[in-house]
Amino acid sequence: MATPRATFIAGATLLAVFAIPAPAAETPRDHGDYLFRAAGCGGCHTDEKNHGPALAGGPAIKTPRGTFYGPNISPDPAHGLGRWREVDFIRAMREGVRPDGAHYYPSFPYASYTRLTDDDLRALWAYLRRQPPVAQPNRPHDLPWYLRPRSLLSTWKALYFTPGAWQPRPDKDETWNRGAYLVEAVTHCGECHTPRDALGGPRRALHLAGTRDGPDDSVVPNITPDRKTGIGRWRKSEIVEYLASGMTPEGDFAGDVMAEIIDRSTSRLTAADREAIATYLLSLPPVEHATRKEKQKPAPGRDEFGF
Amino acid sequence: MPRLSLSKLLTFGALALLGAAAHAEGDPEDIIKYRQNVMKANGAHAAAAGAIIQGKVGYKKDLVDHAKALAAINRDVAALFPKGSDFGDTSALDGVWSKRADFEKRAKDARAKSDAFAKAVATGDAKRYGPKFKELVDSCKACHKDYRKEEK
Repeated sequence: MATPRATFIAGATLLAVFAIPAPAAETPRDHGDYLFRAAGCGGCHTDEKNHGPALAGGPAIKTPRGTFYGPNISPDPAHGLGRWREVDFIRAMREGVRPDGAHYYPSFPYASYTRLTDDDLRALWAYLRRQPPVAQPNRPHDLPWYLRPRSLLSTWKALYFTPGAWQPRPDKDETWNRGAYLVEAVTHCGECHTPRDALGGPRRALHLAGTRDGPDDSVVPNITPDRKTGIGRWRKSEIVEYLASGMTPEGDFAGDVMAEIIDRSTSRLTAADREAIATYLLSLPPVEHATRKEKQKPAPGRDEFGF
Repeated sequence: MPRLSLSKLLTFGALALLGAAAHAEGDPEDIIKYRQNVMKANGAHAAAAGAIIQGKVGYKKDLVDHAKALAAINRDVAALFPKGSDFGDTSALDGVWSKRADFEKRAKDARAKSDAFAKAVATGDAKRYGPKFKELVDSCKACHKDYRKEEK
């Protein structure tokens, strides 16, 4: 594969769709920068809506199991990662463990990040080290009492977590493998699009099949290629368009959380990477799983206009 | 038949007028359905225009109609979200009403961008209307990001 920079430029020229040159500020400076955006780290670690300083701690993430606050990951020695070494960072991302040995809550998507390659983890670490330190204290998570002991998390990990970098499938082509890596490791789509069971573990039979219990009370759609309840009727070019501009095949637009993700991550990927994501998603087994609530039927004896 | 006193008549009359003012555009549930239909039409014209601009389909001569429709629909999108239409089967976020000034600014932006797109389409020059369409799309997305919940 070409260098990420070269791929990006090649991808940008392919973006002839609406023929808009990307502003210079959006061009990633290097591989770590590109990965940082693709993985959407800022979504949980920067409070953009309240104009919070970059990487100094994120907005509240409301989940059915409590409210989480992404911590300060700037290189500040007191509140951020200033005293960390590269090996601490890699262990956090790959094993979900803090330098002091305590477990992270899976709201930090290490179940996906564990699949990042060593090279990508090192590039991300190098990127984080270059950012300005911000001395902003962390906000503790707001959790029900029974979820507060972090020791519980070893049980969660034993049940649901398999550490280890992504292994490419030799029987699939390069585009598919790139898409699989992006979806399952980097952009960690399943963290929201896969429903969770009562213990907060992913329901593997419903991988990427959507949930009504998404973060911040959102309904997260089924993105498997099921024709009735998923994106089976979307063409590959329509998925690529959605990831670039947020427009659906019906001309609707992504809102709320997904619009943020499109802004921060998928619209800044290379066109080739968006194509890879679409290729991978459409190759998945279709899962019939409705997430939208049924439209109310009119009362008996009345037609649709209520007469 | 009992006779209504003048004061009672005035009171009923005033109440009736107040009621009429509060429901000037209809019952909240009906307004919500109406705006969803208008916004669906908005999206349908945007998707149709996008398909023509991207060259997925021909119909080049119809682009001007889609552009005109988009400009018409986006003349005052904020008016589709009157006070009191914030409950019920809507995906609009609270900010539509609690951050009204910003919301109306976004609606004005959509109007400006759809006008500019329609003007560019009228020139028939794809190099001009392509980028204007992209700007309109970005305006739609930016407003949905802050004011529309993902569909239920």
